[in-house]
Amino acid sequence: MEFAVDARTRELVEQARELGEKEYRPAGLEADRRGGPIPVGDPFFDRCLARGEGRTRWPGPQARREAASPKRSVVATLLVAEELAYWDRGVINATPGPGLPETNVLAMGTDAQKERFLGSFVEPDRPRWACFAMTEPGAGSDAAAIRTHARKDGDGYILNGAKCFIGAASRSDWILVQATLDPSQGRAAQRAFFVERDTPGLGSFHVERKMGLKAYESTSFTLADVRVPATHMLGGEARYESSAGFKTAMKTFNAGRPIIASNAVGMARSALDEAIRFARDHDLLGRDRVRDRIEAIARRVRKARLVCLEAGWLADRERPNIVQASMSKALAAQIAQEAATLAYEIVGTAAGRGDHLIEKLYRDVKAMDIVEGTGQIQRMIIARSLVGLPR
Amino acid sequence: MFDLDRSDELALVVETARKLAETELTPHLREAERARGVSPELRAAWDEVGLASLELPEACDGAGLGCLARVLVNEELAAGDAGATLALDPYGPAMTTLLEVGGMAALGQGLEAVRGGAGRALFVAAQDARIELRPDSIDVDAPWVCAEEARAVVVLHGTEALLIDRALTFEAVRGAGLRAAGAAHLLVRGAPIAGRWSSARGAARALARARLYYASLLLGVMRAACEFSTGYAQQRVAFGKPIGHHQALAFLITDMRISLDAARLVVHEAAWRVDRGLPCSVEAASAWAECIEASRQIGPAGVQILGGHGFMADYPVEKHMREARALGLLCGGFDASVETAGRALVESPAPLALGVEGAL
Repeated sequence: MEFAVDARTRELVEQARELGEKEYRPAGLEADRRGGPIPVGDPFFDRCLARGEGRTRWPGPQARREAASPKRSVVATLLVAEELAYWDRGVINATPGPGLPETNVLAMGTDAQKERFLGSFVEPDRPRWACFAMTEPGAGSDAAAIRTHARKDGDGYILNGAKCFIGAASRSDWILVQATLDPSQGRAAQRAFFVERDTPGLGSFHVERKMGLKAYESTSFTLADVRVPATHMLGGEARYESSAGFKTAMKTFNAGRPIIASNAVGMARSALDEAIRFARDHDLLGRDRVRDRIEAIARRVRKARLVCLEAGWLADRERPNIVQASMSKALAAQIAQEAATLAYEIVGTAAGRGDHLIEKLYRDVKAMDIVEGTGQIQRMIIARSLVGLPR
Repeated sequence: MFDLDRSDELALVVETARKLAETELTPHLREAERARGVSPELRAAWDEVGLASLELPEACDGAGLGCLARVLVNEELAAGDAGATLALDPYGPAMTTLLEVGGMAALGQGLEAVRGGAGRALFVAAQDARIELRPDSIDVDAPWVCAEEARAVVVLHGTEALLIDRALTFEAVRGAGLRAAGAAHLLVRGAPIAGRWSSARGAARALARARLYYASLLLGVMRAACEFSTGYAQQRVAFGKPIGHHQALAFLITDMRISLDAARLVVHEAAWRVDRGLPCSVEAASAWAECIEASRQIGPAGVQILGGHGFMADYPVEKHMREARALGLLCGGFDASVETAGRALVESPAPLALGVEGAL
């Protein structure tokens, strides 16, 4: 057994720390003051691109790029996710790139789809975004209940419906839209479709006003008789003769849980450090009541981090991690909220003014117990394994 | 790189402990509790597997394994019966305390005091007793120890380890739990100090190891409580379905399991630090506090899931609840651990940043 991480991972975390301090923290605070997402033309995104970000992992049609750098372990990915979120969680989601749907496209997309939809992300000429649209006004945690409808029409499909809380939707080159061929058939009838920007019928983009995480846009939009060719069905029509469409969506959620959990650990650490700094500056550390509460949070953050890393370590070995992934998410999100709440308490009215980092963290962190499956959904998933809770 | 797999050697000792617990400890836990001791047959089985000297150096006929090996074994055994585990292990944290504070010479003297390993050495943390220390004699008044006899007592007192092998009086008491190990009020009046060693670093490591020793027993008790109550919740039917399928209980069981698994990781990480010679005092204190906190939740919840049956001695969950609470009092319990961890924590500007050498 080994609890240390290697030099390469430490280096990655150190790079994330520098990036976070220099770029993410100021950009996040600025977006929060502005009350809206970082604008598309902001130089922040050009700097992202200049650093080599915003690109796809897809090696290109002839794998023309050099052999990819060694695949980053999930454990390292989690520690980097923790470190970046320490500086600003919202900015992580704002950065350009093929984003959430990339993994699905790589896993299931046809060669032609990879070329068409990931091609422009190989060496992007400007910051580009893509996004995945599952959530609807009437279907959040219950992904099987989506109503956006896809109807076969000749050699294509006609999509109708509404999506909400979709990251980067209004600035995306394309949106991978989850839709159902027949709502009465539940998961088995779900498919994902690439819908390109400017497709007629795609519109009514509305960037939501949020409590926190303001650096990235969460957007609602509608699909009114949007026609896409059959070749825009993710994986091609032939692939969807089973219930694989739904499973793809669930797989994405599963892969994301420990990352969100690690984000929460980073935010909790941020709140903790800020609380300690404030308490030291104001001679509060000598008070047992303050110290004991700080200790309790630090202890919980430490255990949450270990649970995240266990989930990641299992993923690195391709072992089942459903229970641990859900545990990490349920635990870390809750602890991060506790950490921000305590830090707010310690900083007191100086945070109540509304311009203190802790006040922002307190608003930002709530989302961690909601996105990628609420804490309650995580517990249901765990309970299926522990006591056979029926679906 | 971060890796939670056990080496073959560790996996083997853990498997040995698990088998012993399943075949010898769990089936007899009420008998051992009533008898306030373990049977000669069990003791013989224990002697055969050789788990007593796991973490002692090979030069002293130990297995030369570390703190991590001990915590892994302790959890397995205590998942069977924590009281019997204490009864079987002749040293508890006593010998590691001598080794950490006084080195091989102290350990040798300790082993000699229990006459080559045939007798028992009892560990007492100063936090759990009233100690009166004079230049060449000592008084110890410990209201509850998990033993009714010992050839020697090792007291960890500040930065010192003290070996006492005379004038030990054990007055049997009822004991809140862990009765298979016996329960007594230990009284030492004006005993000569047979050995006395001092080392600030050694004493901090010794306390860390003692806390992890008890933390791992607590992990075992919590695991037993979780497993038993979870199994029951799948069998017992109310309102037309297994009680575990009612979301209130499903979530309770889930939260118990999260607490247990998270506490275990924290204990393992601290034990790994001990074995690597890394700073471990804060981490061990924190791990002990975490286990105690988790046990306060899991012990009563195990009983709750069984409802009225849980309250009856026909089921083991009431024993788990009592014993988890009692175990959590040792080494100064929760408050002393929080004190150790909290004081160090607030000295650091960024206490949870990735540490030197990549330790977390």
